Amino acid sequence: MATPLVELRNISIAFGGIKAVDNVTVDLYPGEVVGLLGHNGAGKSTLIKCLSGAYRRDSGQILINGEEVQINNPRDAKALGIETIYQALALADNVDAAANLYLGREILTRWGTLDDVAMEAEARKVMGRLNPNFRRFKEPAKSLSGGQRQSVAIARAILFNARILIMDEPTAALGPHETQMVADLIHELKRQGLGIFLIDHDVHSVKKLCDRAAVMKNGQLVGIVKVDEVTEDDILAMIILGKRPDQLTPKDKEAVH
Amino acid sequence: MHKAIVAAAMLAAGLATSASAEGKTIAVSWKTFQEERWKTDEAAIKAVVEAAGDKYISTDAQGSAQKQAADIESLISQGVDVIMVVAFDSDAILPSIQAINDAGIKAIAYDVQFEDPNALYITFDNVGVGRLMAKTMLEKGRQDGNFAFIKGDKGDPNATFLFQGIMEVLQPNIDSGAIKNVCETFVDGWKPDNAQKAMEQCLTANDNKIDAVISENDGMASGVVAALTAQGLAGTVPVTGQDGDKAALNRVALGTQLVSVWKDSRVLGKMAAEAAVAMANGTPMEELPGVAKFSGGKKGVEMNSILIPPNPITRANLSDVIDGGWITKEEVCAGVPAGTVDVCG
Amino acid sequence: MVTTTERGGSGQDIRRDNPIKAFFRATELDTRILGMVGAMLVIWVIFDVWSGMLRPNEGLFGGAFLTPRNLWTLLVQTSSIAVMTTGMVLVIVMREIDLSVGSMLSMVAVFGAVLQVYHLGPALGVGHPAIWIIAMAACLLAGTLVGAFNGYLIAFLQIPSFIVTLGGLIAYKGVAFLLASGETVAPMDKTFKIVGGGVPEGWLGPFWSWTLGILACIGIVLALISGRKQRKKFGFPLRPIWAEVTLAAIGSAAVLGTTRVVTSYPWPFKLIEQYATANNVPIPQGVEDKSGAAICMAGDQIVRCTDGLIYYTGYAAPVLIALIVGGAMTFLASRTRFGRYIYAIGGNPEAAQLAGINTRLVTVKVFALMGFLVGLSAIIASARLDAATNALGQSNELYVIAAAVIGGTSLAGGVGTVYGALLGALTMQSIQSGMQLLNLPAAFQDIVVGTVLVIAVFVDQLYRRRIK
Repeated sequence: MATPLVELRNISIAFGGIKAVDNVTVDLYPGEVVGLLGHNGAGKSTLIKCLSGAYRRDSGQILINGEEVQINNPRDAKALGIETIYQALALADNVDAAANLYLGREILTRWGTLDDVAMEAEARKVMGRLNPNFRRFKEPAKSLSGGQRQSVAIARAILFNARILIMDEPTAALGPHETQMVADLIHELKRQGLGIFLIDHDVHSVKKLCDRAAVMKNGQLVGIVKVDEVTEDDILAMIILGKRPDQLTPKDKEAVH
Repeated sequence: MHKAIVAAAMLAAGLATSASAEGKTIAVSWKTFQEERWKTDEAAIKAVVEAAGDKYISTDAQGSAQKQAADIESLISQGVDVIMVVAFDSDAILPSIQAINDAGIKAIAYDVQFEDPNALYITFDNVGVGRLMAKTMLEKGRQDGNFAFIKGDKGDPNATFLFQGIMEVLQPNIDSGAIKNVCETFVDGWKPDNAQKAMEQCLTANDNKIDAVISENDGMASGVVAALTAQGLAGTVPVTGQDGDKAALNRVALGTQLVSVWKDSRVLGKMAAEAAVAMANGTPMEELPGVAKFSGGKKGVEMNSILIPPNPITRANLSDVIDGGWITKEEVCAGVPAGTVDVCG
Repeated sequence: MVTTTERGGSGQDIRRDNPIKAFFRATELDTRILGMVGAMLVIWVIFDVWSGMLRPNEGLFGGAFLTPRNLWTLLVQTSSIAVMTTGMVLVIVMREIDLSVGSMLSMVAVFGAVLQVYHLGPALGVGHPAIWIIAMAACLLAGTLVGAFNGYLIAFLQIPSFIVTLGGLIAYKGVAFLLASGETVAPMDKTFKIVGGGVPEGWLGPFWSWTLGILACIGIVLALISGRKQRKKFGFPLRPIWAEVTLAAIGSAAVLGTTRVVTSYPWPFKLIEQYATANNVPIPQGVEDKSGAAICMAGDQIVRCTDGLIYYTGYAAPVLIALIVGGAMTFLASRTRFGRYIYAIGGNPEAAQLAGINTRLVTVKVFALMGFLVGLSAIIASARLDAATNALGQSNELYVIAAAVIGGTSLAGGVGTVYGALLGALTMQSIQSGMQLLNLPAAFQDIVVGTVLVIAVFVDQLYRRRIK
């Protein structure tokens, strides 16, 4: 089997004595979408933040393409091609799409000033591939719809050659049409060989978008399953009861159903 | 006024220094030490109190009425003999003064009035300052023409007191039509930069036809003179002021300001301290030299008071401030051409 | 080739709109700012008419307000606040506040004055050419350092800026007092004073004023052309040519109009007289006319007359400084990475941080910049007053913040422009100066300025809601 794109090995993080993440191991292959599920406080966001550089792990290893790496801040993560698309749709609301796309990595003219025209041109190219209907390059991000913001955020990641994408409930605030748009986007990204971690509450969308699902409860990994091989109820049981499908008793099945 | 001068002379001669050996305590509750002048006052007070063999203690309310009330409470509990109060808020202070009276301690309103009939009020004659400004203007500046009035902060009662005094003296000439009041404005916070803007607008509105400026203090006079300078008028338009600011005294020597009415706070501190020492030793305040009845406050409460006359400094008597050690000759005479002012040579 | 001619810059089809909307869309003019300019012009006309009713003068509508002299003075009076406002915009855009600018101005002004009057003067000899250079550099450096210190406390010790600068407001006032023991320090160095614009050396004169004005117009045209070229290169929608021409015309008209006004204000005749006598400039013979602005000889007397020796002021030094600062700050805010980061932080601090922006460093830099501008304002204010005291600049923070807010800066952060804030400062000073011209009571001025602030923000919100 090929080398995983990402391996998180035996990761633990504690906050003031409470283990938010307890010895969790997860991997991700190119062109694959792995869903991370669990209740609020199950530790999925904390786990993923040590990959994106927002938190530092207490113990464990991170391997990218089979090599151990150190990720101490968001900059390190970005340098390794890890991009995060946050739940809060982290765009600066008051600047336009092109500026958001290039935030932190602006194109400069030879005099060291911002080259807005060049950035807009690049933005148009990238968005043309992702979301050809997008036109509103010069408007502040706050006037964009949820789906448009999501596509700007994803375009931002692609623009910088992200290989590993972390998406935090990408379809949470969206209507059916826009959800479909994001699903198409994710398929396109998979086709281009990116690996995606997808954090979500919604079992239905995980089943639809992901290849595998990793379920966490109380900071521990319950298990990793291929979504094709299990039912939605099985995944629900993992979230609620913290048991893998093979551990379920008939009574448990009854309770979840 | 004469009375007060006599009083100053008598007190200075040491009449009140027959302190008893037991050593009284004189306390001062300052409203704030943010302003330099209070340090001059303090030095003068301390000198008199300690020379009399008494003890000087003080508190600083740091510009807060609440802190001042707490300060006074603590002074009362320390069992002092006289408390001089520079009130931060002349109304809010009254309960504290009542507490002083109740404790059998003597209270002195120092420089800032609060209206309590049992207290002694010692200050410069503020209405007198206004009168002196106007009088000097009439005698050494202009008796007629277009006058501009740059008044202090509208929230400060002193600004109004001053203006009353000024108007008392100028009114006959205004009534006769000799003096025309063409601009009159309060200046927020007595700020010189605001005074400058006000003066610029006054000059614009009147096409520079301004013959005299009554500025209520020296700080604002600096703004007025800057505005006049920009129009080439400084030195030809007489400007008043008060405080004896060093820069203002220099302007007086240069001829760009007519007068700075000088309130020598050392005299105020000295006289108040001497009164306090005498009161601590049991002299009734009515019998203090220079005491007169005063009821010119907001509520018209009659109080025993000592009003000290200030000194209008013009080119003619610049030597007063130099001889008094307030300012050096070099500071007064900076940039003054030789032969224009006597003291500068 | 792109089909561009009938499209506005933002790409929308403009054919459906009514002509006025189409005009604004095509030119991309900021209607909000135009509204403000309109409101200010109305205020000006009211003041001119009103003052004319009290006392007829040479103003456009018979009053004293719309005269070259008053407008010239107005610009000078605005400059110190205007310089600080350009920095305050960025501070507020970044969701911070700086309440300490007034006290900081006092402190830096007194510091600079003490340095030149008490130390450098005696040490080097009064009027030594190094004095003004050292004094100005010291003011700018002191301002920058104090600002950076504020920024450090805010960014690295995580103390809210409201608290840090409220502390500064109180503490720096105390320092200003201690530096000179509460005294007025005067007079300033002769060269230092030029920056205040109160002496003829601080006036640019018609030749250089016009030169500068024309250069500015050329700059506007070149900027429009290069912007258009750039967009064309990438095949973006272009503004219609008529819109480009209109923009160039409006910009040039504003520049040249202002230049025209400031170059029509003659030196006060006393100063012409002083200058002519001091420099042996021949004064022509002429007939006395007491309303004239020139001087001439009637016999051996120097008198005022209509035709004679006359000089015009042109741009005053503080106004020039404010304009240059305004231009530089606009450039910084809109054309540099630093400016982009400030806006991004104001829009979404978390997003900015996640994008790898060192938000703490940007915060320190913005406050340091604010401090630098306060230092510059301190130089202007003390040079103009020819003195420094601890009362100078106090409560300026209120006017600086008010100017920024009237100019459309949102206290919620993320939104605001430098030119809007400059207009805000000018509007506020117009109201104050106008009411002083009318000799209205000071209390009334306070009421009006306060009311205008609230109304301006209210109207702004209405406008924004409608735009949404």
